[in-house]
Parts: sequence; C-alpha cells; structure tokens
Amino acid sequence: MISSIKVLAMEESGIVRLKIIIPHQNESGTRKDEQGVVIPAYFVREGSVTLNGAPLLDIELGPSVSKDPFLQFRFPGKKGDALKVAFLDNQNALFSAEAVVL
Amino acid sequence: MRRRQFIVTGAVSSACFLSMSPLNLFGAWSAKDFQQCPIEQAFMAALGTSAPVNSDQITIVAPPAAEDSSLVPVQVISSLKSEALYLFAEKNVTPLIFKCTLQGNVIPWFSLNIKMKESSALYAVVRSGGTYFMTSVHVEIVAQAC
Repeated sequence: MISSIKVLAMEESGIVRLKIIIPHQNESGTRKDEQGVVIPAYFVREGSVTLNGAPLLDIELGPSVSKDPFLQFRFPGKKGDALKVAFLDNQNALFSAEAVVL
Repeated sequence: MRRRQFIVTGAVSSACFLSMSPLNLFGAWSAKDFQQCPIEQAFMAALGTSAPVNSDQITIVAPPAAEDSSLVPVQVISSLKSEALYLFAEKNVTPLIFKCTLQGNVIPWFSLNIKMKESSALYAVVRSGGTYFMTSVHVEIVAQAC
C-alpha cells in the first residue's frame, strides 16, 4: 500500500527549507483505551530523502513522535531540484512523494 | 570483446540495482536503539557511550512549559559539522525519538513535534568527526494529554 504524504520545499538564498507531513495515527503502543486495553504500536519509523537522486537524509523515528509527523530540514540547493521522500511505518506501509524545489 | 561484455553485464546489474532502489532506500530500523529502557542505556545502545561530551555548539529550541504533552515542538540547531543527529527524552518509555544521518551538505538543523510522557530533560546529540556531543534542556509538562 502506498499512501501520500505532503512535501513542500522552498529555496531562499541558496538554502532549501523542506517540510514533510505524514498523515498517520502514530500510536506509541503504550497508551490504553477506555477498557484499559493497550492500543498496539502503529507509527512511522524510517524514512529517506534524496536530492536529484543522491541520498541526503536517512531518518529513523521512535514511537514518541506526535500524530501526523511533521518534520523539517534544511540543506543547500536551488529551485528546480528534484526531491524524493519515502517513509515506512512499522506495518511496512510505504508513504512516498516526489517534489520539486520552489 | 571482453570489455563490451563487461559493460553490458555492468549495465544490466546496475539496472537491477536501480529497480530495487525503493526498498533499498531503507536501512533496517534498529530496534536495539529504540528499546524501552532508562536514558543511560538508550545512550549506550544508540551511541556506544553513556556520556557524550557537553557542547555549547548545539541548541535545542523547545517550550520551557509545554501545554500539550502529545505535541511538543522541538528544534535542534548545531554549528558543528555533523554526520548524525539524535533526539532523546529522558523519561519517555522509549527515550530515543529521532535519529538522522546527514549526507552531502545537509545543515545540522531539524524540527519536529514530539510526545512527552512527563516533564523531563530533552537531549540533542550530534556526531561530529566520530565524537558525540550533546546538550540538554528541561521541558515542563503543564497539562497531560496522553
């Protein structure tokens, strides 16, 4: 299953500001529901970003990231650069998107 | 003749490699680093040291008093030349929250929203030239949401 994520990258004086939003429940696995039953862990746990095909970031996430993970990064780049962003959750669902630096 | 053969084989194998790349993008998520344990043990597992060197060249921007424990905005900035960045919350069940390897010229800067179990220290660790440096701030949880 491939789900969509939101990626926005904007260049300003040579620096690209990258914003990634992954719509995801991100359950830590330590919370209980009203009946006191533990809600199973379900969270985004790894990701990668490439810039014009070259690896840029390798990301690993723990269960303590907020719901709908919102990540931001900065790196040198220019308008028109191609970004590929992909994330996997702990049930191996793939979230990916491609974006062009604005 | 041999050389042509080599080029063809090379091209085919690199094509195979490229077609596999969506899955190759992912290194194995290290369950060892993200274990449920006390902070010292989490440092040891993820960094191989329980006492990174304190540094004033790393800054954590986080609210001193967070109103929503399920959404604490955190920003980490470093002026060290960094190969990897880490974020830990001392009293979370799983202390390691975020781990990122930087390639190329990525700026040692990141921002994300985290969940905190209770008021505790946040540690940002940077690997620079093979050495681990860290800084910490205390975040007070005012209202419990999770």
